[in-house]
Amino acid sequence: MDATVLGAWVATGLTLLIFSFLYKDNPLFKLAEHLYVGVSVGYIIVKTYDTVIVHLVVKPIVENGEIALLIPVAIGMLMLTRYVPKAAWLSRYAFAFIVGMGAGLAIPRTISSFILKQIEDTVRPLMSMTGPDGLAFSMNLLNPGSNLNALIILLGVSSVLFYFFFSIEHSGAGRAVARTGVIFLMVSFGAGFGYTVMARMSLLIGRLTDLIEFSDASYGRPTIWLLILMIAVLFFLSRRDQEHPPDTH
Amino acid sequence: MSFSERMLKIDRRIIFLMIGLCTLLPLLYPVGLPIKISSEVRGVYDHIESLPERSVFLLSIDFDPASKPELHPQAIALLRHAFRKNLRVIAMTLWVSGTGMADQLVTQVAQELGKEYGKDYAFLGWSPGGQAVIINMGQNLYSAFPSDYSGKPTKDLPILDGVRNLKDVTYMVSLGAGRPGVEEWYVFGKDKYKFEMGGGCTGVMAPGLYPLLRSGQINGLIGGLRGAAEYESLIGQKGKAVAGMDAQSATHVAIIVLVIMCNLFYFSLRRASQTQGQVG
Repeated sequence: MDATVLGAWVATGLTLLIFSFLYKDNPLFKLAEHLYVGVSVGYIIVKTYDTVIVHLVVKPIVENGEIALLIPVAIGMLMLTRYVPKAAWLSRYAFAFIVGMGAGLAIPRTISSFILKQIEDTVRPLMSMTGPDGLAFSMNLLNPGSNLNALIILLGVSSVLFYFFFSIEHSGAGRAVARTGVIFLMVSFGAGFGYTVMARMSLLIGRLTDLIEFSDASYGRPTIWLLILMIAVLFFLSRRDQEHPPDTH
Repeated sequence: MSFSERMLKIDRRIIFLMIGLCTLLPLLYPVGLPIKISSEVRGVYDHIESLPERSVFLLSIDFDPASKPELHPQAIALLRHAFRKNLRVIAMTLWVSGTGMADQLVTQVAQELGKEYGKDYAFLGWSPGGQAVIINMGQNLYSAFPSDYSGKPTKDLPILDGVRNLKDVTYMVSLGAGRPGVEEWYVFGKDKYKFEMGGGCTGVMAPGLYPLLRSGQINGLIGGLRGAAEYESLIGQKGKAVAGMDAQSATHVAIIVLVIMCNLFYFSLRRASQTQGQVG
């Protein structure tokens, strides 16, 4: 059997097994779920071993004599001392190295990219210079750089920040500002949820597109045959459960 | 039990079936709804279009098969565009679980357009470390990737002539499904080594990346399957993303109708119980 055809049968079978959960939780779904976890972990272990151990450590040391690589290897090996209770304290050096290096790398870059740059963008001028002495206010909502959008963003950022400022009571004018912040948060959650729905539907479209493609005769119509088989198995399992209800105690 | 109560307690499998049919039918019988190009997708397209031939284009395929339906069409469209423009395409991934898929997709598009490995494109594969790889590439690309995916020394690849680190990259696009992805490439790559950058992401991630787009930190963003469809339309080669747009629109309409109906049933039930309470 051609590898492409075999791949089509495996992909179709696993997709249908996972989709069977939409009917109800069943052993077919669990089989596919465990296969997914096992294959993913196995793949990651093999690729990591081949890339890191073979290509980045062993080959450079043995073939090129890059002895300096033994230093990171030794630090990495200290991690494994966690499995030996008496020597577990040695792993702290490796963790300290990782935490220290990670924080040192991340903190300045994150401040620069996500705080300073975003503040710079939030406090844009609310009016634009149009000439030597003219000021203009552009009202185009569709243009992200318009003055109206700059105003909306300033309003949104200020009111949401105020909403999360708990040191004073949100009453009177403060309540109005906090409520405005809640409205901005709701719009943001709505946009996020809308995009999430779109993403999930895209995943469904991707699987259904493959199932349609694999219903072709050139693949041996795995979609049709495996769908019939799966329905038959689900029917059999359902009948069996009715006759011998599973013991829940 | 009133009609509203029965509707609110409807078997959820009926809703699954409805959504399934709304997705399947437009895929089987496409209508061809128009696709409007957004400015964020055009940003990436226009920048690649403006690059001179043999410019260095770095594509980081930072996703695995779990996000394939959304990001695979984006990668294919971007690669087709870059190859047609005769750019030097350097592909890589920061996700170990996506290595095989990334190699397959780069090879497939390169063969489709008759490109030669090593001269027109290269796939560097995966290197461990996430953001540390980006920093390492910024200092010395050959130290981050001493060999390519097939094990050939990267120093021997003609495509990398004159490329020492990320500063020599003309344009970079990260197609990210999470971390490390677009944000890491901006924070540890573009912000530090100053190259032009665009992004592509799953729909779930898109709202979180819009602030980077608006502030000009990235010059374009391809969001989800919709973004891929727009890019396919821009390069004039329609693929899986455009084919999925009718189904996407149909499911969105179905979900909007379901949300409206659910609210109507809920409020009608609440009103009925309030009226009952007043009578009692």
